[in-house]
Amino acid sequence: MTVRWTILISLFITLGAILVQACKKSGNDKGADPTPISFNIPQGWPSPHYDFSGNPLTQEGFELGRKLFYDGRLSKDGNFPCASCHQQFAAFSTFDHPLSHGFDNQFTLRNAPGLYNIAWQPATHWDGGITNLEVQPLAPITAPNEMAEDINNVLEKLKQDSQYPALFRAAFGDAAINSQRMLRALTQFVGSMISANSKYDRMKKGTAQFNSDEQTGYAIFQSKCTGCHTEPLFTDNSFRNTGITVDPTNKDYGRMNITRKPEDSLKFKVPSLRNVALTAPYGHDGRFLSISQILEHYNSGVQNGPTTDPLVKNKIPLSINDKFYLLLFLRTLTDSSFITDKRFGPPE
Amino acid sequence: MNQKPNRLPYFFMIPVLVSIMASTSSCQKDVKNEFTGQETNLTIKFTPVVRYDTARMYFDTTTYTNVWNESFVVTSFKFYIRAIRLSNSNTGKAFEIAADKYFLVDFKDSLSTLVKVGVLPSNYNRLSFILGVDSTHNVSGAQTDALDPAKGMFWAWNTGYIFAKFEGTSPSSTAPGKRFTYHIGGFKTGEDVNKEIQLLFPFGTGVNMEGGKTAEINVTADVYDWFSTPHDIKISKLNSIMTAGTEAKQVADNYSKMFTVMTAKTE
Repeated sequence: MTVRWTILISLFITLGAILVQACKKSGNDKGADPTPISFNIPQGWPSPHYDFSGNPLTQEGFELGRKLFYDGRLSKDGNFPCASCHQQFAAFSTFDHPLSHGFDNQFTLRNAPGLYNIAWQPATHWDGGITNLEVQPLAPITAPNEMAEDINNVLEKLKQDSQYPALFRAAFGDAAINSQRMLRALTQFVGSMISANSKYDRMKKGTAQFNSDEQTGYAIFQSKCTGCHTEPLFTDNSFRNTGITVDPTNKDYGRMNITRKPEDSLKFKVPSLRNVALTAPYGHDGRFLSISQILEHYNSGVQNGPTTDPLVKNKIPLSINDKFYLLLFLRTLTDSSFITDKRFGPPE
Repeated sequence: MNQKPNRLPYFFMIPVLVSIMASTSSCQKDVKNEFTGQETNLTIKFTPVVRYDTARMYFDTTTYTNVWNESFVVTSFKFYIRAIRLSNSNTGKAFEIAADKYFLVDFKDSLSTLVKVGVLPSNYNRLSFILGVDSTHNVSGAQTDALDPAKGMFWAWNTGYIFAKFEGTSPSSTAPGKRFTYHIGGFKTGEDVNKEIQLLFPFGTGVNMEGGKTAEINVTADVYDWFSTPHDIKISKLNSIMTAGTEAKQVADNYSKMFTVMTAKTE
């Protein structure tokens, strides 16, 4: 008797459990749980600005983001995946293009920045207009001179695809495709791009040694450049006017476009100098074609205006020798393992 | 000496069944509040009008005239509301639904113009809500439901939500296609345009909203109010606002008075 009731009761409990299960987001097509991956903060680095706790990093989420990053269908005509302006061999900047270009042969106003250690940036874009990494992709996807697409169209293309529903299920538990999941997957991929294995990093760890020229360059760098290009990220993430004048055609005033404050006119984000040897040309609009040109700008080209940064107002005197050593030091910031890391390359 | 029939186990079954029922009912997504009895099912119905609360606004085909004698056609009209609150100014009773529950009222999507919430039964004579998106939700990354950026109410290049959108065409506009585009938002200090809208029921008469019953409040939103009082907004002078700042603040001041409660009743 008791046995029979026990069976019945346990049957009901099981039934209840099944019902509770069914309450969890459309659970009947629930796949296996995605595989967590850890986000490793390099030794001596601060905590990242982007918080992965709300978007847990998983192998499946990362892989979905990777596929999206290389998929032209995120753009209107299929020709402009994220990777079209963010090329791995150029540390995810655009090789040899002062301004990135997009849909219908249009140029943008800006030089595509390299993507690495983005999770540490409090704000992205040259003008800091994006305050949360997750919503960054919306800007290039919807800008008429970049990918020129509409978010709903992109989602529709993904829904019609033979592979995406399964990939979304693997990453997020069910096959629902929405903007939040797409953006979070992209954030998992791009946010995981950490570049911390340059010769400089190995020297810091004691597994490599600078030669005397690099050492001399490093000393000059520390005395003249770290006011803005703070180690270990080689940027303090501030917005500054480095003594430039406005481009008469583009009329890009940088940070002021976002804050609408005149004191922010011609201020742009201090870029990281990691992988700098790979990311030419330089500056928000690619006006400096080489590192030497930038160094010469600080030495002799600074134009003083109302918002010019105090640190460059009196120029940064650099002798020919200084520039030579600085160049050799800056090359130690190239991370060859990062630009050849297959995890960040196109999906097979 | 018959054995007692197996009655007792049936009693055992009851809590099990009850717990199953409880778990299934938890599937339903209700507006969270501390009240555990029967709610009043309230529908707040928004209707777009022009100049007069009885003059229904129609999209795309009908031409209207603003206070500056500029004619215009409306192609888009939508806004975010949150922090819906019912109160009674005589008894001091008040009830607020979850402050982080957002609704996008889009007059081109009739379903969205019916805002359905559960409220604590009481006698109310006031409705208030905030038109806008709080600072937290402006910077919290990719969101869903009403705040899904795919809804077209998000500035992609300068992170933040458009709180209210009013678009159309007018011969007075010098923009391409004679368009005018008013995208109003701003959450940072100095440019915050979150507006608390306080509305009194007709004649301040209280309505008794009882548990398990349905109630309806009809609210009109008048595009005519966007153009003046306190600030003069002329399409000929200003055809596009697509960023937070001074102009957005002026327009938000204007539209904060565009709502009227036409009727409040129970069935």
